[in-house]
Amino acid sequence: MPRPDAFLPVKTNWFHILLSLAGGEQHGYGIMQEVLDRTGGKVRLWPATLYGSLKRLIEAGLIEESDQRPRQFDDPRRKYYRLTRLGRRVLDAESERLQELVRILQMKRGLEVS
Amino acid sequence: MKTLALWLYRRLAYAFPHEFQMLYGADVVRTGEEAVEEISERHGFWGLFPLLADIALRVPVEYLAEMRRDLVYALRTLAKSRGFAAVGIISLGLGMGVAATSASQFFTMILKDLPDVREPGHLAMLQGASYPYFEHYRDQHDLFAAVAAFRLAVPFNISLQGANARPERIFGQVVSPEYLDLLGITPQRGRLFDPAVDKPGEAPVVFLTDRFWRDRMDADPNAVGRVIRVNGQPATVIGVGPKDFLGIMPIIASEIFVPTTAPANMVPELAGDILHKNEKAFGVLFRLAPGISIDSAEAGLDSLTRHLDQETLDPARNAKGRRVTMSPGGKILPIPREMMPAMYGFTFLLIGLILALACMNLANMQLARAAVRRREVAIRLSVGASRFRLIRQLLTESVLLALAGGAAGLAFAYWATSAFRKVQVSRAIPIHIEMHPDGHVLLLTFLLSLAAGVGFGLAPALAATKTDLASTLKEGAVAQMRGYRRFGMRNLLMVWQVAGALTLLLIAGFMVIGFEKSNAVEIAFDSHSMFLFSVDPVRDGYSSDRAASLFDKIRDRLKTVAGVRDVVISEATPFAPQLGGSTLTAPGDAGAPDQVVHGVAKNVVGAGYFSALDVVMLEGREFNEHDQRIDTAKTVALPAILNQTAAQEFFGHKDPLGRRLAETGKSYDVVGVVKDLSAPMSQTSRGSMQTSIPVVYLPLTRGDLSSPPLNGMTILIRTSHDPAGAIEGVRNEMSALDPNLAIFNLRTLAEDVEQNTSYLRRSSIIYGGIGGFGLILAAIGLSGVTAYSVARRRKEIGIRMALGARKTQVLRLVLRESGVLVAVGSVLGLAMGFAVARLMSSLTSLFGNAFTASVRDPRLIIGAPLLLAALAMLACYIPARRSTKIDPLQALREE
Repeated sequence: MPRPDAFLPVKTNWFHILLSLAGGEQHGYGIMQEVLDRTGGKVRLWPATLYGSLKRLIEAGLIEESDQRPRQFDDPRRKYYRLTRLGRRVLDAESERLQELVRILQMKRGLEVS
Repeated sequence: MKTLALWLYRRLAYAFPHEFQMLYGADVVRTGEEAVEEISERHGFWGLFPLLADIALRVPVEYLAEMRRDLVYALRTLAKSRGFAAVGIISLGLGMGVAATSASQFFTMILKDLPDVREPGHLAMLQGASYPYFEHYRDQHDLFAAVAAFRLAVPFNISLQGANARPERIFGQVVSPEYLDLLGITPQRGRLFDPAVDKPGEAPVVFLTDRFWRDRMDADPNAVGRVIRVNGQPATVIGVGPKDFLGIMPIIASEIFVPTTAPANMVPELAGDILHKNEKAFGVLFRLAPGISIDSAEAGLDSLTRHLDQETLDPARNAKGRRVTMSPGGKILPIPREMMPAMYGFTFLLIGLILALACMNLANMQLARAAVRRREVAIRLSVGASRFRLIRQLLTESVLLALAGGAAGLAFAYWATSAFRKVQVSRAIPIHIEMHPDGHVLLLTFLLSLAAGVGFGLAPALAATKTDLASTLKEGAVAQMRGYRRFGMRNLLMVWQVAGALTLLLIAGFMVIGFEKSNAVEIAFDSHSMFLFSVDPVRDGYSSDRAASLFDKIRDRLKTVAGVRDVVISEATPFAPQLGGSTLTAPGDAGAPDQVVHGVAKNVVGAGYFSALDVVMLEGREFNEHDQRIDTAKTVALPAILNQTAAQEFFGHKDPLGRRLAETGKSYDVVGVVKDLSAPMSQTSRGSMQTSIPVVYLPLTRGDLSSPPLNGMTILIRTSHDPAGAIEGVRNEMSALDPNLAIFNLRTLAEDVEQNTSYLRRSSIIYGGIGGFGLILAAIGLSGVTAYSVARRRKEIGIRMALGARKTQVLRLVLRESGVLVAVGSVLGLAMGFAVARLMSSLTSLFGNAFTASVRDPRLIIGAPLLLAALAMLACYIPARRSTKIDPLQALREE
């Protein structure tokens, strides 16, 4: 398995998708909606970009298609995606990286104030 | 509006690459449909634009991504079969290299414009006009915006530090004052010549090229106004030209320009009042008036010249045909327009043939490979890859291969052109060929490689993907290609390849043997026992009288040197190329029309020239000491000796002795006839190569001694024994005569002849190389086909051997198939070779002699096909031998 560090920093689109899948399986339109909701309508993954990114994420081994259907009433033709173990670790590593950045920024701010 | 957006969205979604569509197409469409509602609710009508823009952008991105993957995959497959890749790249690289080299030669010599010159397309020139004629031409303001006279390749002895420094011999042009202004160059320093300022009688001035200024004056910022010595006389520098400017015809590099207003003691070429004489000593450069084509200018000039000829009673005035031939002046070489199609044609024919051979090889190799890879292709097709996708994949490979070949070809071209640049073509004139592949060639090579990759990769790719899946998967790699066909693409390609290679070999052979035959040099004695050297006393500062008496002394003194048998002073050197540029007339007998002969070469030779060369006079006598003392001003007619060709052309079967020949302003009495001497590389004025050129030999007179030609006066020394000792004695005697007299170009006759024919030998090597290259390509192709056929028939051979077939029988079986292809190809190639030779010799006299001389040579007609067939069969034999090593048990057990 490739090292998660190799994927850092994660592209914004990828990060949003990974984040959406952190909660469990999701289909394409669902991911789009979730990102829209989460960012208060600021970030919209347009369909073609979304599927392009999904394709590359699958090729990179960060996500995979899921055969589990969370809701019975859903359209059976939809494909569901979920994080792989690598994907989860990349998401963790990216979150850590961002946290580290925020921490450094806060420390600098703190120094300026004092 | 929503429906329109949705419709567009769906269209775009279907434009995605096949693979992407299979996986995500439906999802993309569905998500889009769902999003449209929501987006138009939230953002209104304008919100639909980013949706469409997004998909419109993603489509090409997906295609690029696929291409990248194709490329990576192609690189990996090529890396896996290195042998295949190497052979492909080398054969295509050689083909491209030869093509790129010829193309860069073509671009620099024929298509490139003169550097630094204004509107070079409006320039035209003609060779061989007298100065008074030029002055008439100059007045044709309706035809020409400007007209100038020039003389090319004029040697000057230049010294920068006063009269006593040892001068350097360089080449320049003598030009009328209009010349520089006509060309429209901008001097980087000083001024140009100006007809209003530069008049006869003014203090002499010169104009320098940037090269002279940098190399010899160290880019002196105060160069303008400096006085330098030109042939011993002081002259003031008035200007320095722009950086790349070397005058017209820069192939003969000019470093200095001297106006025709300079005094004759500075420029021997202007001696004898030549500016007022009817002597065709100048070239004329024209800038065409706006809207005037070169054809209409030529027509206008022709009628004017005809008129002038009548007025001046030119001996050739009644000859038929055009009086003047103009050629474009703004190019590196002024190639007459009627020769253009032949030159283009031959160049492109050769390039095309070579490229076609290389490409056929590539196609053949791709076909063989595609056959081997049919299983892989079939598997990929059966798991759902689209045919288009696979074709693209295969194409990517061949394009990649072709581009690599193109790159190799460019490297080859760079090497070849830099090697070509070092070549010295002539001893007398510094021919200067500035040649390197430029942007045009780069682009051309790239496009050609791309075309070769696509063109010759497409057919194999189509063939490979058009398969019957079930049977291929069942049969495996040994499956036959849609049933073996006698006229299948591979066999046709093979036949054409053999035919093409043979055509190439034949043309190359025609050229090589033709050159050899038409330019063989026959010398009746040991050419090491004669040596030659040159002196140019006038340019070393001698007055004409002193120069003439110096030559008398040289002759007398050198004869006393031990080992010297003959001493001859001559302008012409023996067995050198003859340039037939003169037109002479033999007045007809009472009532009969005058016999006008164009393309006559004139050789000025000293007393005893022919006996020194062991050439016996066929009729009459040769020049003696008496002829050498003739005062041209007081003599009506100079004696002349004709070679056989000239005698035949002027007088037919009649006795030429005692008859008269006339030329513009001069006439000659025929006193003797000699046989034709070998003159390799001879040319007539029309630029065609000729073996037998009419030559008129004229005696060396006092006037000639004081205005020597551009390679100085040549002294021929025939030694009876030990040339080395004689050379030493001659050197001592010369320095005793005048230690400051420069002796240059000392060489034996053997060396001289070798130098004269070196260009031919190089051409022969090049053509031989091209022929050999075709052979190698054909061999590679044939051995590939045979290897493939052996692999394909593995099982069949196994069965035959299991049933008791002997190895030789198997071998014969395999070779028979290739043998038929080779035979058919050879017949076709022979026919094509002859057709091309016929076409070329009828199209132009440029190659006519070479072709006619060699077309019946048995060495070629029998040798070339035999050589090709032998090599081809060898190329087949090596892989065919593998068939005998097939283990029948193993072959049958496979699958």
